[in-house]
Amino acid sequence: MNSLIERFIEKAQLAGAEVEQFSTIQDAADFLKTFFRENKIETGLISSGLKAAGPFAEAFPQFEKRPAPESLWIEAGLVAADHGVAETGTLVHFDLGDDEKNVWTLPEICLCLLEKAKIVPDLEAIAPRIAGHLSRTGLPSPQVSLVTGPSRTADIECQLTIGVHGPSRLIILLI
Amino acid sequence: MKKIDPGLKKILQDFSKSYRAKRRIVLEGYDFEDLRTALAELKDRSLDQNAELLDRFADRARAHGGIVLRARDGGEANDMILEICRDHGVRTMVKSKSMVSEETGLNGFLSGHGIEARETDLGEWIVQLAAERPTHMVLPAIHLTRRDVAALFAAKFGRPVPDDIPALVRLARGEIRKEVFAAQAGLTGANSLIAENGAIMLVTNEGNGRLVTSIPPVHIVLASIEKVLPTVVDALTLLRLLPRNATGQTITSYVSFIAGPHRGPQYVILLDNHRSEMLADPRFREALRCVKCSACLNVCPVYQIVGGEEYSHIYMGGIGTLFTAWIHGLKAAKDLAKVCLRCHRCEDYCATKIPIADLITALAGRIRDKGGAPLWKRFAFDGVMASPRLQRTAFKAARSARKIISKKDGFSRKLPVWMKKYDRFRALPAPAAAVFSKLFKAEFGARRAAAKPAKGTVTIFGGCLVEHFYPEIGLAAGRVLSKLGYEVRIAPGMCCGFPPSNAGFEKAAGEAFAALVKKIKIAGPLITVCPTCTTMLAKRGAEIAGSEKAKDLAARVVPFSRFVAENEMDSLARLLTKERPALSATYHDSCHHKNLLKAERASRMLVEAATRSGIREMDEPDACCGFAGTFSLDNPEISAELLADKLGAIERTGADVVAMDCPGCLLQIRGGYRRKGPAVRSAHTAELLDEAME
Repeated sequence: MNSLIERFIEKAQLAGAEVEQFSTIQDAADFLKTFFRENKIETGLISSGLKAAGPFAEAFPQFEKRPAPESLWIEAGLVAADHGVAETGTLVHFDLGDDEKNVWTLPEICLCLLEKAKIVPDLEAIAPRIAGHLSRTGLPSPQVSLVTGPSRTADIECQLTIGVHGPSRLIILLI
Repeated sequence: MKKIDPGLKKILQDFSKSYRAKRRIVLEGYDFEDLRTALAELKDRSLDQNAELLDRFADRARAHGGIVLRARDGGEANDMILEICRDHGVRTMVKSKSMVSEETGLNGFLSGHGIEARETDLGEWIVQLAAERPTHMVLPAIHLTRRDVAALFAAKFGRPVPDDIPALVRLARGEIRKEVFAAQAGLTGANSLIAENGAIMLVTNEGNGRLVTSIPPVHIVLASIEKVLPTVVDALTLLRLLPRNATGQTITSYVSFIAGPHRGPQYVILLDNHRSEMLADPRFREALRCVKCSACLNVCPVYQIVGGEEYSHIYMGGIGTLFTAWIHGLKAAKDLAKVCLRCHRCEDYCATKIPIADLITALAGRIRDKGGAPLWKRFAFDGVMASPRLQRTAFKAARSARKIISKKDGFSRKLPVWMKKYDRFRALPAPAAAVFSKLFKAEFGARRAAAKPAKGTVTIFGGCLVEHFYPEIGLAAGRVLSKLGYEVRIAPGMCCGFPPSNAGFEKAAGEAFAALVKKIKIAGPLITVCPTCTTMLAKRGAEIAGSEKAKDLAARVVPFSRFVAENEMDSLARLLTKERPALSATYHDSCHHKNLLKAERASRMLVEAATRSGIREMDEPDACCGFAGTFSLDNPEISAELLADKLGAIERTGADVVAMDCPGCLLQIRGGYRRKGPAVRSAHTAELLDEAME
C-alpha cells in the first residue's frame, strides 16, 4: 500500500502537481486556512460534496458551489477526487453534469482532497466503475474526468507553459 | 516544388529529437511492441464490427438524451451543424481541436453563413488569429516564434505585448476564456466513441476541451466513424499508448469521458466521408487504424524539412496522403504521394502498425492506373524496365557513350542547364567501363578452378547499381566470401523490379521480376549487397509473382552483412590482416537496411572489425541521405537538403571513412562530396572488409 502511495506521489509530482500529506481532514482544513491567508485568497469555488458537510464547508463559507457565468477570474477551487491512479499520478472524479468539472477547471489554483485508501495501481483497476458510471441514464449526464497535473501547453516554441486554460497549480491534499 | 524554410526546419528537427528522447523515457518498463500489437488488434476488431458498434453507440448515446446524426460527407456534416446553429440561435461557436472539422472545411463554411467558429486550443487559436494553416497535428503553431506571436497579439489587441511565453499564454487565457463564455455552442471531436455506453473520450492537455464541453449551452461532437471502440477497457488500451506515442507523456493533463448532454442539447455527428469505401478496401483499410498520434510526422525526415503546410492537403505526411486520397480524391493526393521517401522509418513508431510506406506505394499504383504518372516514368518503367532486352540495350548505350558523358574521375559531366536541378547538389556517377557480371567472370572463373571451396556455394545478386555503376562492390563481396571459403557464383545482372514497383508500376515490376526468376539459377544462399533489391527479392517479388520458384528465391535471400556477421565472425577474426591500418569509421544507416531488414547491428560489427576501431556514431545515423530512387528526381530540393544534413553529420564525426550497405546511398553521398568537396571517403561494408582481409 505504501509503495502505491509513494508511486502516486512521485508520478503526480512528475506531472507538475504539488502533494501535501495530512492525518485528518481537519489538518488539511487548517493548512488551507493558512495557505489562503498567505496567498491572499478570499473567494473561490467548492464542490457540492465538500460544501454539503465537513470541516471545509465551515472553514470556507464564502466559497461558492457554482461559477457565475461572467466570472473569468476565480482564485481557487476546492474539490475531492474519487480515486488516485498510481501509474500516472492521476486524479479521477465521477460527476453528474458540469458543475463539479468547472470547479476543477476554472480556478487559478485547484486544491484536491484525496484519501490514500482510494489510490489504485492503474486505470484498469477502476475500469468497471468508470463503465458503470457512464452507463447511468437520466439527467444530468454522467461524466468521468482524469486530471494529471496542472493545465499545460507547449504550443509556443515547444516550451512547456502551465495554466493555459485550467489551473496553473494543482495541489493534492492526501489524507 | 516544396518551399523550405530553414528556421522551421531547425524547429522541427529539434522537436523530433526531444520528442524521441521523451518518448523513450515514458515507454521505459513497457513493451512498445506488445502495446501497439494490442492496440492494432483492437482497432482491427473494431473496424470489422464498425457498423454494429456505431449502431450500439448511437442507441446508448440516445438513451442518455443525445441526438445522434449520420453524415455521408463533409458537405452534409456542415449543413447539419449550420441547421443546429440556426435552431439554437448560435452566432459564435467555440471549438476544441477537431481535425475532422478541418477536413470538412467547417470554419469557412460557417463564416459564409454569418457564424463565427473560434478555435480554443492555443496553437490553433494563434494560427487562426494569424489567418494561417496549422503546421503540425499536435503542435499547430510550431512554425511561429515567441516574437511572431507577440507581434501578432500586439497587432490584434492594439497594445504592446512582451515576447515572454508565460505572458503570452496569460494573455491568450483571458481572451479565449471571454470567447468561451460568450459562445452559444461548443464543438469537439472525439478520440474515441465508446459503444457500450454511448460516451465520448476526449484527450487534451490545455483543458480547453473541458471548457468547450461545459460552458456553452449546446455541445456538438463531430467524429469520424472509425473512432468507435467497443468498451471503456478498450478506450483505456488506447489511452495507455496515445499520449506516450504522441507527445512523450504518460498521460495528458485532462481526459474526459462524457455520456450525454449537459445543460443544453448534445449532438453527435458521425461522419463517413468515404471511410466506408476505405473500410471495404482490403488493402487501404489498414490506414483506418490511425489514432492521429502524429508519431509518424515527428520522425519523418521529409516532414522535418518542409513542415506540415507544404506536406499536406488537410491531413499531413504519409498517413495524411492516404487519407487525402480517399477523402479528397486521388488528384489531391497525387503530388503528395511523390514526397514520401518510402524510408519506412515511421513504421517503427506507428501506434497501430500501419505499413504507411507500402500503402503509399500501392497508392502510387492507383494513381498510375488512373493515368496520373508522368510520361518519363511511363517510358522508363513500362517501356524500358519491364523488358530485360531493352534494359540491356539502354545500359549498353550509356556505356558506349561513356567517353562523351563522363569525366575520368568516375562521375558524369554536368547535366545541361535545364536539368541542372538534378545534379547541382550531387554529381551523378558515370557508367562503369565493364559490367559486374563480366568482371566477376574474369576474376572468379579462374579462381574457382584453382581452389576447392570448403564451405559450399553462395550466389551473389548485384543489382542494377552494382552491375552498371559500382562493380567494385560486388567484386569485394565476392572476394570476402571466397576468402572465407565459399564457392561464389553470381545471379544474372538483371533488374529485380524494385524501381518500377516503388513507382506504382506493378505490372512492369512483375514482368522484370518474372524475367529474373525465369533466368536465375541459385546455388546456396542468395547474397545481396543492396538492401533495396533485398526487400524486393525477399518479400515484394514473391507477393507479386506468387510462384514456387519466387518463394524459394525469397527464402534464400540474405544481406551480405548479416550473412558474414552471423556465420563468419570467428573465421573473419583469423583472416583480417594484422597490418591493416586502424581507420576511424562512421556508419550511415540505409533506410531499407535498418528499417526493413534490421541488419544495422551486423554491419556495425563488420565495420568495427575491418577498421579496428569503434564506430564514431554520427548525429541521426538513420536519417535518409535523400536518394530514395526516383524520390531524388521528383524532389531534388528536398533530396539536396537531406544530403546536406547527412554530409554535415558525417563530417562532424571526424571519421576517415563513412561506411554503408546500400549502393544508392553511396551514389548520393559520394556524388554529394564530389560537388561539395573535400570528400570523406565513402565505402560499402563489403569493400572495407575486402581491404582488411589477407
